[in-house]
Amino acid sequence: MIHEFIISDLTVISIYVIVVLSFNLTVGFTGLVNLGHMAFFGFGAYASALLTLSGVPWYIALPLAGILTGILGAIIAAITVRLKGDYFQIVTLGLVFIAITISRNWISLTRGALGLPGVPEIIRNNFHYMLFVMAILTACVIFFYWLTNSETGKIFQAIRDDETATAILGKNTYLYKVLSITISTFFAGIAGSLFVHYIQFVDPTIFDLEFFVLILAMLIAGGLASIKGSIIGVFSLSILLTSIRFIFADISPELIGAMRQMLFMLILILILIYRPRGMFGKVDV
Amino acid sequence: MMLLLKNISKSFGGVKAVDKCTFEVEENTITSLIGPNGAGKTTVFNIISGLTKPDSGAIRLENKNITGMPAYKIAQSGISRTFQLTKVFRNLSVRDNMLIAKKTNDDEIKKILKSVYFEKSLDTIASELSYGQQRLLEIARALLMPHSLLMLDEPTAGVSPIVRQELRKILKNLRKDGKTILLIEHDMEFVMDISDTVIVLNEGRVLKEGRPKDIVKDKRVLEAYLGK
Amino acid sequence: MPLLDILPQLIVNGLIAGSIYALAASGFSLIYYVVKFQYFSHGAIMAIAAYSFFAFVNLMHLNYILAAILTIIISIVVTLLKNLFVYGQLRKRKATPTISLITSVVVLIFISSLLLAIFGSSTKIISFYNKTFDFGTFTITLIQVSVIASAILLFLFLWFIVKKTKFGKAMRALADNKDVAQIVGINPEKIYIYTFIISAIFGAIGGVLLGLEQNLYPRMGIPIIIKGFIGSVVGGLGSVPGAIAGGLFIGLAENIGVLYLPTGYKDVISFSVLLLFLLFRPQGILGVKIRDT
Repeated sequence: MIHEFIISDLTVISIYVIVVLSFNLTVGFTGLVNLGHMAFFGFGAYASALLTLSGVPWYIALPLAGILTGILGAIIAAITVRLKGDYFQIVTLGLVFIAITISRNWISLTRGALGLPGVPEIIRNNFHYMLFVMAILTACVIFFYWLTNSETGKIFQAIRDDETATAILGKNTYLYKVLSITISTFFAGIAGSLFVHYIQFVDPTIFDLEFFVLILAMLIAGGLASIKGSIIGVFSLSILLTSIRFIFADISPELIGAMRQMLFMLILILILIYRPRGMFGKVDV
Repeated sequence: MMLLLKNISKSFGGVKAVDKCTFEVEENTITSLIGPNGAGKTTVFNIISGLTKPDSGAIRLENKNITGMPAYKIAQSGISRTFQLTKVFRNLSVRDNMLIAKKTNDDEIKKILKSVYFEKSLDTIASELSYGQQRLLEIARALLMPHSLLMLDEPTAGVSPIVRQELRKILKNLRKDGKTILLIEHDMEFVMDISDTVIVLNEGRVLKEGRPKDIVKDKRVLEAYLGK
Repeated sequence: MPLLDILPQLIVNGLIAGSIYALAASGFSLIYYVVKFQYFSHGAIMAIAAYSFFAFVNLMHLNYILAAILTIIISIVVTLLKNLFVYGQLRKRKATPTISLITSVVVLIFISSLLLAIFGSSTKIISFYNKTFDFGTFTITLIQVSVIASAILLFLFLWFIVKKTKFGKAMRALADNKDVAQIVGINPEKIYIYTFIISAIFGAIGGVLLGLEQNLYPRMGIPIIIKGFIGSVVGGLGSVPGAIAGGLFIGLAENIGVLYLPTGYKDVISFSVLLLFLLFRPQGILGVKIRDT
């Protein structure tokens, strides 16, 4: 799996924070459980990879990947956001499966299971790239703090708490829900682009269930509707996962991956049962 | 004339919940909608406020046709309402609850809250309020949103006698300020005390419309409530 | 026309795949109907069943009947353990359906990793006597006949339980209205346990059949429950007959679709069907109300 080797890497951790923040915007702040969030992350990665591999310079590909992902998100949101909660979750979950299928079978575009190697870097020097990503992260954090405290952000939260009451106060809740998802998917696309230009490779495993569960774990552990929670959640789980790697250092390599995964899943189950609000969560999902 | 309902009908899966319902609400009055359980009162409220689409009929607000408009548009046209089971934004503060209704400063918010005898601080999270206080908050929120017609669904349900008294005062004050109020209520004493007009609904139809003392004397109304 | 010549074979293939999908889908839907959450770890039970059967047959050289019985027992035990330590705890703490869904996916991944740890990543094949029957227009193997036959028997068994027994009535009452059911004396936890046991049996048999038809690998539970999920949604979420219909529909669509698309596109077909249903008929073949007012 793509995500397995690099959790202790500050660049990747920063990218994951952007993913979780954008995820929290729809789930924690607007009450929309978009289970297909990683489909948009992967779409952004593939989009940016394909653009740069065709010669588009990174400073166009990066924002463009975000914009394209946002547009895709807007279209899907416009269609699906009227469905009742359960069914919205199912549709968005279905998006991931569809993304896997397309990335595996549209071989002329994506090279299928072989993936796209040799994606150009944005900045050669890893340390400088880390600073670049952290700068973008900082801008994202400031944006999300501003958004969630703004009038629009309060309306998102009102929709989460009671959509009917929000409507009878004169707000077009449909548009706000679409807006929330559009913003969220835009940032997921940006994160995807930053990710693919770091590891310089993308394949259909970016849509894998295990990767989604990792991001979900970070969201829940940090807590819904809490920006501070998302930041700390990502860092805590990364530290946890890195230390797990050292616990099992001297068993056979194949076994290590499995045991680490099992331990991580067990911890997650405990959190889901006994502390589903995580560290700083303000609401239930 | 503030609100006009003409021949509003609505069926749910073959059951006629509202049947050619017709009535008017005059400006600057308190009109009460009463009737036994299942008479269709809440359905009528939901149709007026746009949460349910009528099968047929028309609704006019200050002579503007609002039939079939989405709820948020009807709210913007000037109808503000509360619900039988209080719908405050649980995870938002009192202040934020009010700000959704209208973007304004703390002073105006405090003024409206005071007018409904709401005592708590603006920073209190709504879920921490008692049920009665949540009701008052919901009414204050409905008052803050600019409107011409205020609709209250069973405002006294489940509240203490003190809050009930306060609600009586609040509604009378609102009428004095020129407001128009339509409410659903089961507390007959409350209804008879404050209403200018009483509309009796039974099995989805308007049984009688008139002044409180006329309604009380009507045999058909008694039958509707007590059964034949 | 050469393409139409293979149609009978494709239909048979579709019924075989559809039967396995229907078994997965009905386990998923049964739990959704009664216990009210999306039971993705059903895929894990199927994987455990496949590997257990493999262990009993290939490693311990037991005869098939004994292996099958032991496999069913193991599936039931694991399911009840899951209920005791995970899902029962979630219910006790009034967890939301979304949390339950997420937890179930986590359990699925946990068990997949457990199978990887125990058996390793190399593909396993269950040694089984297989015979091919040639009917001219199509061929079918003994295993494949067992798949279809088992599926039919299990569905009849389920129909009998749900419609004709007192337990089935209690189950439906609980599914329709938990509060009222409790008032008339139905014990939810007891019903849940029996429902999980039924789903475990379906999972066990479905898993063994899946393992016989295809080969075993640790993550095998994930794709099968995804197909089961798709079958459930296409058939109508919350409806067990719907799940069966949906599973068969997907199986047939995938295999008949081979007339028009290369074999590698089977997944594309089922996901396209999912997409079409979600867009145009989210209530599925049998229909459940789903829209916001």
